[in-house]
Amino acid sequence: MMDTAFIWDTFLRLIVALRVTLSVWALSVFFGAFIAAGVTWMRGSGVKPIEWIARAYIFVFRGAPLLVQLFVVYYGLSSFPAVRASIFWPFLRDAFNCATLSCALCTAAYQSEIFRGALAGVPHGQVEAARACGMSGFLLFRRVIFPIALRQALPAYSTEVISMVKATALVSLVTLWDVMSVALKIRNDTLVTYTPLLIAGAIYFVVNYLIARAFIFIEQWLSPHLRARSV
Amino acid sequence: MPESESDSYALTVSGLHKRFGSLEVLKGVSLLAREGDVISILGSSGSGKSTLLRCINLLETPDEGVVTVAGETILMRKTRDGRALPVDRRQVDRIRSELGMVFQNFNLWSHMTILENLIEAPIHVQKRPRAECVEEARALLDKVGIGDKANYYPTHLSGGQQQRAAIARALAMRPKVMLFDEPTSALDPELVGEVLRVMRSLADEGRTMLIVTHEMGFARDVSDRIIFLHQGLVEDEGPPAELFSNSKSERFRQFIANERS
Amino acid sequence: MSWTTALGFSERGWGPALLEGAVLTLLVSIAGLAIGAVLGSLVAWSKLSGVRVAAAIGESYAAIFRGLPELLVVYFVYFGSSAALTGLDHLLGGQGFLGVPGFAAGGLAVGVISGSYQAEVFRGAFLAIAKGELEAARAVGMGRWLSFRRIIAPQVLRFALPGLGNLWQVALKDSSLISVTGLSELMRTSQIGAGSTHLPFTFYIAGGALYLALTSVSDRVFEFAEARATRGMRREAR
Repeated sequence: MMDTAFIWDTFLRLIVALRVTLSVWALSVFFGAFIAAGVTWMRGSGVKPIEWIARAYIFVFRGAPLLVQLFVVYYGLSSFPAVRASIFWPFLRDAFNCATLSCALCTAAYQSEIFRGALAGVPHGQVEAARACGMSGFLLFRRVIFPIALRQALPAYSTEVISMVKATALVSLVTLWDVMSVALKIRNDTLVTYTPLLIAGAIYFVVNYLIARAFIFIEQWLSPHLRARSV
Repeated sequence: MPESESDSYALTVSGLHKRFGSLEVLKGVSLLAREGDVISILGSSGSGKSTLLRCINLLETPDEGVVTVAGETILMRKTRDGRALPVDRRQVDRIRSELGMVFQNFNLWSHMTILENLIEAPIHVQKRPRAECVEEARALLDKVGIGDKANYYPTHLSGGQQQRAAIARALAMRPKVMLFDEPTSALDPELVGEVLRVMRSLADEGRTMLIVTHEMGFARDVSDRIIFLHQGLVEDEGPPAELFSNSKSERFRQFIANERS
Repeated sequence: MSWTTALGFSERGWGPALLEGAVLTLLVSIAGLAIGAVLGSLVAWSKLSGVRVAAAIGESYAAIFRGLPELLVVYFVYFGSSAALTGLDHLLGGQGFLGVPGFAAGGLAVGVISGSYQAEVFRGAFLAIAKGELEAARAVGMGRWLSFRRIIAPQVLRFALPGLGNLWQVALKDSSLISVTGLSELMRTSQIGAGSTHLPFTFYIAGGALYLALTSVSDRVFEFAEARATRGMRREAR
């Protein structure tokens, strides 16, 4: 178990697999943000049926385990002849696409709630002051509401982004060769249990740590108004 | 079309009604302000003074009544379920940009520096060139006494400094009429004076100002006219000297007696 | 087989199996939450106690398990506890391999993860108790155990409820990962049913629906508990 060559070899193989992990992660967070923006808009639209659809979406994708969602998309959809004959099939037959789609839909539900909370947290008085100056519509959103809401959302958003890194480990269960599945394969092949899992754990831990630091940096960069004034 | 009579007024309000649910807060309030008038609006809480101010720049939408700013009347229409709405959102924005409002809680934008707060609306709403806005903003900050705080963020300033910045922000829009909604009510007592001093100098300059306030002394010394609101109606109105010594309203006399103690 | 038969309660129907799976999911989640509560309160205590070494240990535990994928932790606990049990057995003269049952390993895994988050909830809840109340208890002559029992513990629970409600939902969803150990909880049962009937969509949607049912009922229960627990508490000014 203390064989350094083995440790190093395992580490390299897991780093290669990290590419899959990070790809699924980045794409699902990115596209999830856009879906979330849409869902948040629907949730606050004021039109009851549209609001209801948004609330149902959030309920389903936040209430059901991600594993179930992954299986529905990957195993469930492909079982329908209609799906296999449709134009979506070239996209959906690929495990990577299914996994990323499913993760994006899931994170969108969580991100949508973060956006909603952040928007609600914008001090009403500052919005009124902007209106009183004659700002409205997109200008008001762009210059006052969005910047303030963005800063409010950062802590919760950072947590969600890191949660998604951890969630990608589930794609190992839908045939993708990410860090988790490669670590398990090494274990199965060599019967060495702890080393691959420990190294995999260390890799995930470091990635999450770096992301957390990056967010702290962004928060500080965007919020000079919250730091103590250096006179 | 604006009547020729209202052309000479900076601001006219006639027959304002406002209801919140089943509670009627304004029951038909009218006022006229000529250019250079400083009008203080007094009344106990619930009298509708803040609502009156907020109906003028349409932060609240009056159910009935007409508001005319510098000869331009805000056009309103009735929806099918009887609610009143402004006809043209662009007209509302434009008229708002001609009115400067100062809030009780300052409401400076927390993610911008003081200077950025001042140039924000002139640049983006009034579409004036940036250099001109910055120059004017710096001059205004000097005028209200916080010229050295231009690059500070609002949270780093005291309440009095923030309110003075808010006044400067309103002035940066070159407003025709300034609206003050209890500008000193949220301030610690020792910071009230600096804000009142700035307001007094604005009055001396000849600005048209509508001030909702509890500061009796200020109202009496600085105003051209006082309007006393009680339960949504104008109970009494007139020059301070007259009102404070000789009001025909029993309630007003009660009011000043209470405020004094 | 039509989906109504597959999910139904007839001889060939998987209805009963799915419901049993749901019950097992519920049980293992409760076990996990309970273990998490014990670990969480220990860590919260270590941080509040001011003893540097204890706080460091607690902080490390929380940081580690918040930074690791839940699936990894499940595998680790499952393999690790089996290895430990086998090792123990070998020490005592046994041979062969002893596996730890999926329920125990899964519950422990969920518990260890949950504990790292519950620590923060308990710590926050404790700090939310007005200092004055503790001082008043002292002033009246209550000893440490009594003041803990009568003043601290009930109030920590009150303040912790919203956070715990959240973490309960998380535990429910994390429990689906225990399926990799072979435990016949809801996820695994759906999987088996899907494979057996070749109706994956049906079974995974059914499984998802049951999870959503568990979530909804839990929501109500926690709402009720919060309403009762916050009787008499000052509402935040809106």
